[in-house]
Amino acid sequence: MTAQMTFFIILALIAIVSSVLVMALRTISHRVVSMAFSFFAIAGLYFLLGAEFIGIIQIMVYVGAITILFVFGMMMTEHRNIGFGPDPRKIQQVVSFLGVATLLGIMLYGIFSMDLPTTPQPYVGSVEAIGLELYGHYFIAFLGSAFLLTSALIGAVVIARKEADE
Amino acid sequence: MVPITLFLALAAILFCIGLYGVLTRRHLVIVLASIEIMLNSVNINLVAFSAIGPFANISGQVFSLFIITVAAAEAAVGLAILIALYRNRNSIDVIKHDLLRW
Repeated sequence: MTAQMTFFIILALIAIVSSVLVMALRTISHRVVSMAFSFFAIAGLYFLLGAEFIGIIQIMVYVGAITILFVFGMMMTEHRNIGFGPDPRKIQQVVSFLGVATLLGIMLYGIFSMDLPTTPQPYVGSVEAIGLELYGHYFIAFLGSAFLLTSALIGAVVIARKEADE
Repeated sequence: MVPITLFLALAAILFCIGLYGVLTRRHLVIVLASIEIMLNSVNINLVAFSAIGPFANISGQVFSLFIITVAAAEAAVGLAILIALYRNRNSIDVIKHDLLRW
């Protein structure tokens, strides 16, 4: 077993286990920390694939920004109350578990029966290539994402602002 | 090199975990976290195809950058809506917010 395979298995196990713990843990803050671990493991997978820039961006945006955002969202709402009482949606839980398990089975069957040609050498994309593509081919999409970020910033401020006393 | 099918299988597993979380969890913060996990699994697919796919090129990494941008905007607006909802209705239980349900 090569070193890459070993690292892949370790990182994949961390990602899957911490994603399951996001669903399974009891305390809400532990769940958010477990989500951060999952994002870290996925960033490690990007490094393994030779996409260092995406890995760094993943750590900066997901682990640095989004997790902190989730921590603040958790703090500003009800976080002491762990359980909501008995769940009246037992049937829905069973049905959605069966549906998701069926979907996973179909997808895994499709993936493993696929006959992809193997590439001898992995393609290593440099940051320069990303920049050239981003400002060349995808310039319109880049401007669109700038507009999206601006409107999301303004929208978040307007929605979460405390209403003035009427 | 790790075969690409393993990366695709990992992404499918993570996507299904996130989908199950969206469908069954009752805490709104956890529902948003599940959506983030689903977006991340899509990113794994894109970067894997960009590095070791049959037609490996840089486009997959550019697309995953766009997805990260959209995910950040979505998380910001989603948590703002969550805070506004909690202030108005005083609960973040998904079941209690069924105003538009038929």
